[in-house]
Amino acid sequence: MSFLINRLLSTLLTLFLVSLITFAITNLLPGDVAMMIMGTQANPEALEGLRQSLGLHDPMLVQYGHWIGGVLTGDWGTSLIFKAPIGDLLAQKIRASALIVVLSMGIALAAAVPLGVWAAVHRDRWQDSAASTASLLGVSLPDFFWGIMLILLFARTLGWLPSSGFADPAIDFPLALRHAFLPALALGLGLMAHLTRMTRSTMVGILNQEFIRVARAKGLSERTVIWRYGLANALGPVMTIAGLQIGYLFGSIIVVETLFNFTGMGWLTYQALLNRDLPLIQASVFVIAAVVMLTNLVVDLLYVLVDPRIRLE
Amino acid sequence: MRRFLSAKGLVGLTLVVLIVAIALVAPLFIPETAGTRMDMRARLAGPSLVHPFGTDQLGRDLLVRVVLGAHTSLTIAGLAVLLSIVVGLPLGVVSGYYRGHLDNLLMRLVDTLLAFPALLLALTISAMLGPSLQNTVIAIGVAFTPYLARIVRGEALRVVQMPYVEAARAAGTSDPMMIVRHILPNIMPQVIVQATISLAFAILAEAGLSFLGLGTQPPASSWGLMIQASRDYLDRAPWTALVPGAAVAMTVLGLNMFGDVLRDVLDPRARA
Repeated sequence: MSFLINRLLSTLLTLFLVSLITFAITNLLPGDVAMMIMGTQANPEALEGLRQSLGLHDPMLVQYGHWIGGVLTGDWGTSLIFKAPIGDLLAQKIRASALIVVLSMGIALAAAVPLGVWAAVHRDRWQDSAASTASLLGVSLPDFFWGIMLILLFARTLGWLPSSGFADPAIDFPLALRHAFLPALALGLGLMAHLTRMTRSTMVGILNQEFIRVARAKGLSERTVIWRYGLANALGPVMTIAGLQIGYLFGSIIVVETLFNFTGMGWLTYQALLNRDLPLIQASVFVIAAVVMLTNLVVDLLYVLVDPRIRLE
Repeated sequence: MRRFLSAKGLVGLTLVVLIVAIALVAPLFIPETAGTRMDMRARLAGPSLVHPFGTDQLGRDLLVRVVLGAHTSLTIAGLAVLLSIVVGLPLGVVSGYYRGHLDNLLMRLVDTLLAFPALLLALTISAMLGPSLQNTVIAIGVAFTPYLARIVRGEALRVVQMPYVEAARAAGTSDPMMIVRHILPNIMPQVIVQATISLAFAILAEAGLSFLGLGTQPPASSWGLMIQASRDYLDRAPWTALVPGAAVAMTVLGLNMFGDVLRDVLDPRARA
């Protein structure tokens, strides 16, 4: 129980620091913020209006207090480019991106775990080399390059899946899935390569241990030894690493969603950055960091559930 | 030494040496204008004797552009990793060596920065400062610093507990002397391994930033920019995407292979 309370308090503190850093980074703009947003040609009244509405005349600390107060009470302000309440925009876009993130994690894990185990079992043989080479290639290509190749193959050449666009999962789930599949695959390929490497090295470490030798000596079948004894012990570390990759995924969706014109959280963040929509930048950067942190918290807690040894420490 | 001579080590080393050589030498032989010289009669031309890798939508030679792109990518990635070391190394060493409140404070800050996806952090910094070569270096460098600081701190913590450090302390070695003489030399192998891996990630990050228009700016040559430009011509001229894509893949693959072997050689504990 004290572990849980400690972990929650620490998350809250980090969340507060995340808000401070978000605010600090988004105030890096050199010079007049209003002019940076509206351009040098903007008329003085419009500039002054923007300064007033963003509260740019207030001291930094007051500006932060105003912003964090809004965040806590659910008033995230209004987007300058979309002219819509940021809270609504975020809620809608996060739902869309969740589909891509979950799908790509699913694709990556479903392929990486068996492949990693297979490579570890055939350590130093051709199967291991093949898996290693394939996964090295996988981590070496940018997601957007995978995305372009997938568009070329599945959308342009075969015509199986749409190359761009978005459908709301709440309205038409099958269509939403069709739109989310290629972006998720583009993200999943790189992730899969990374997780294969991690699964392999974790499994190699475990298969070298005493209890595996004992299990084999007892005459258990190789299948039981590997899957029941080996993988059961490797899943915890692999899950933790997979959880840490959520951050990587939320960074990558910015590129991949933009490529596929999939109007989710990544696309929204990119539009905000490109148009210097300050309130929207602050909100989306903060929300992404918060989601990453909370996912890591959940993964930590799940780990404790899965592996009772952690609780005793 | 034998590990460097393994197939993986050789391939990795060859790729890295080749690409670094190209990046260093190319600007000496190819004038800056060659990368932007347009041949309107040969737009989106396929590979030929005149243009071995074909041309892009403005009739610019892809071989010239991809070679100049190597210079841009490696310069930005190299400087960014250097920046992350210059900032992250002292932070990590001080944190791991002195421990206590200072360590708590610094690592809390590092953990907070790690909550931001590296690419998001880099994109945000670049968008805020305004995209330019210098700001791309700053953006990627800052985004990578917390990772380096974390690893350095872990290593410093480990080295501080070594008997030879205790012996040196008993002999009256001062803190700065201890850090320079005993801590730094013993964490260097891990720093070098991490720098190699970071370099691979920094090249991917630069390509990503440029692809989104928040990194290297046209008309300069950059692999990310080239892939971005190829999007509209995929059907007619797939090589416009494949050439820069292959360049990124070869560079990052080489660095990753080299990094793997380097880790096996320098850090035997991590050998699986």
